[in-house]
Amino acid sequence: MRKSFIMAVAAIAITFTAQANAAEMVFTSWGGTTQDAQKAAWAEKFTAETNTNVLQDGPTDYGKIKAMVESGNVSWDVVDVEGDYAVQAGNKGMLEKLDFSVIDKSKLDPRFVTDYSVGSFYYSFVIGFNADAVGAEGPKTWADLFDTTKFPGKRTFYKWSAPGVIEAALLADGVTPDKLYPLDLDRAFKKLDTIKKDIIWWSGGAQSQQLLASAEAPYGMFWNGRLTALKATGVNVGESWEQNITAADALVVPKSAKNRDLAMKFIALATSAKGQAEMATATGYAPVNTESGQLMDAALRKTLPDQQATSQVNADMRYWAEHRDEIGERWYAWQAK
Amino acid sequence: MTSTTSFVQEPKQRRRPTGFAYIAPALLLIALFFVVPIASLLLRSVLEPTPGIGNYAELFGSSTYVRIFANTFLVSALVTLLSVVIGFPVAWLLAIIPNRWGSVLFAIILLSMWTNLLARTYAWMVLLQRTGVINKTLIGLGLIDQPLVMVNNLIGVTIGMTYIMLPFIILPLRGVIKGIEPGILQAAALCGATKWQSLWRVLIPLALPGIASGALMVFVMSLGYFVTPALLGGTANMMVAEMIAQLVQSLVNWGMGGAAALVLLVITLLLYALQLRLFGVGRIGQEGQ
Repeated sequence: MRKSFIMAVAAIAITFTAQANAAEMVFTSWGGTTQDAQKAAWAEKFTAETNTNVLQDGPTDYGKIKAMVESGNVSWDVVDVEGDYAVQAGNKGMLEKLDFSVIDKSKLDPRFVTDYSVGSFYYSFVIGFNADAVGAEGPKTWADLFDTTKFPGKRTFYKWSAPGVIEAALLADGVTPDKLYPLDLDRAFKKLDTIKKDIIWWSGGAQSQQLLASAEAPYGMFWNGRLTALKATGVNVGESWEQNITAADALVVPKSAKNRDLAMKFIALATSAKGQAEMATATGYAPVNTESGQLMDAALRKTLPDQQATSQVNADMRYWAEHRDEIGERWYAWQAK
Repeated sequence: MTSTTSFVQEPKQRRRPTGFAYIAPALLLIALFFVVPIASLLLRSVLEPTPGIGNYAELFGSSTYVRIFANTFLVSALVTLLSVVIGFPVAWLLAIIPNRWGSVLFAIILLSMWTNLLARTYAWMVLLQRTGVINKTLIGLGLIDQPLVMVNNLIGVTIGMTYIMLPFIILPLRGVIKGIEPGILQAAALCGATKWQSLWRVLIPLALPGIASGALMVFVMSLGYFVTPALLGGTANMMVAEMIAQLVQSLVNWGMGGAAALVLLVITLLLYALQLRLFGVGRIGQEGQ
């Protein structure tokens, strides 16, 4: 009994020593199907190529990034964050500058590249509806989604203060895309007030899918990839790409990350044509690398946000980065009213 | 025999460490993991973003924050009231039921308490939502035409939290009721008290200290609750803990977050002091003897 215990301890000790010999880094994202795809498309490939063990952590938490950077004990090496946060955190000195001698930015969509961040994947907020519950003629435009006479009942929107809902409210109120910025917050909240009692907020992608599939909220505003995934499970989902609003997640390296060099190499792989193509194939989000398209299945590619450009509206990450705190405070105060 | 005696006596002759030395490791632990972080939180609340009491002024001056605090008290009070009303009969039943059935009932309560909080909250979501089991059944039976709105509002939070808090009042209350001498109730009956009179004028007054301390505990726990209100309540029913999480994680405004956390902590400590004052630290859970 005692002997087997000692053997077990020895075995554990050996395992740990063995792991300590291989290099190790930490990748943090939002969990769920998106992080699963990132793990398969990027982390596992990276491990195979560089013999680096990529540990997964999550969900992304800006409070934790601040705590790590301030204490100097940074355990996250690469983090998937929202685009507007990336710009703001870069300006506040919370992030490492990216090494573009390692990361090839010449093929990356310039909308999503800053000194401190590159796009992770890019998505659109689109209109989705449960066609079994409301019929094939669902809301087509943001104005429809805000019209409770034409489309009575609950609708679901993204809960957090982030690019998307405010833009949708202004577009619904008749603001043209070229006049969207600077955002007229008074007008946006006035428009949102008209449907406030009919809104159910979704705080994560899985919840948005559950609300739509159960017809708890038969229409709403969704990340396009989540609708793709829901359709794949057999739910009769209708969608409209009219004035779809794009935003991107970004990959960043927190200031003084322990494995800065590995982090740069990891980002290089993640934003490579192949890494982006595999990620897009798995999720229905669009690649930020302009050469990924040719590596992908043509039929699938047609469904991605980067092919819906005709009436596309780009959320302005730089505007959001500048006004993130101010909009956030108003947003949460309005919600709690 | 003599050798044993001398062996037992020996430790008595050694100098005993003072009481402080005994508890020093515990004090160190508490200082390191509780006092220091809370102190640094307090410091942030008066230092960030600029030194001063600006954060507190904003906290008490803004109608939004005041409303969130008021809502927190309202929800906690509702949950406490319902927990007492539902918990008392259950505790009573647990105290008087034969042991065999009592242990089954006890196991059910404990099992629900040990089940993952998130899983239980999601279960309520599935039960209560517009297209959920309860609404479908009621509509199927023809009792209602339109589904009742029971999630994303005050009703959802209250139901979900009451369910989670119930064991915390049932278990101590059961102990209190068990400690009441059954002869007293028999005496009441012999003296001609009706069942209601025995309940209202004998049993409840005797169990009152237990009810009060259990209720205070539920109230204090409810004040800081996070997961259930976040999932079952609407944004209009936000509670303080969720607001703090938002300030710390999304808005990265630690000064305000620290100020809100400190106000919540002070309120909690005041209530705890009240509990100690009324019931004493050692006697909680064994009153009514």
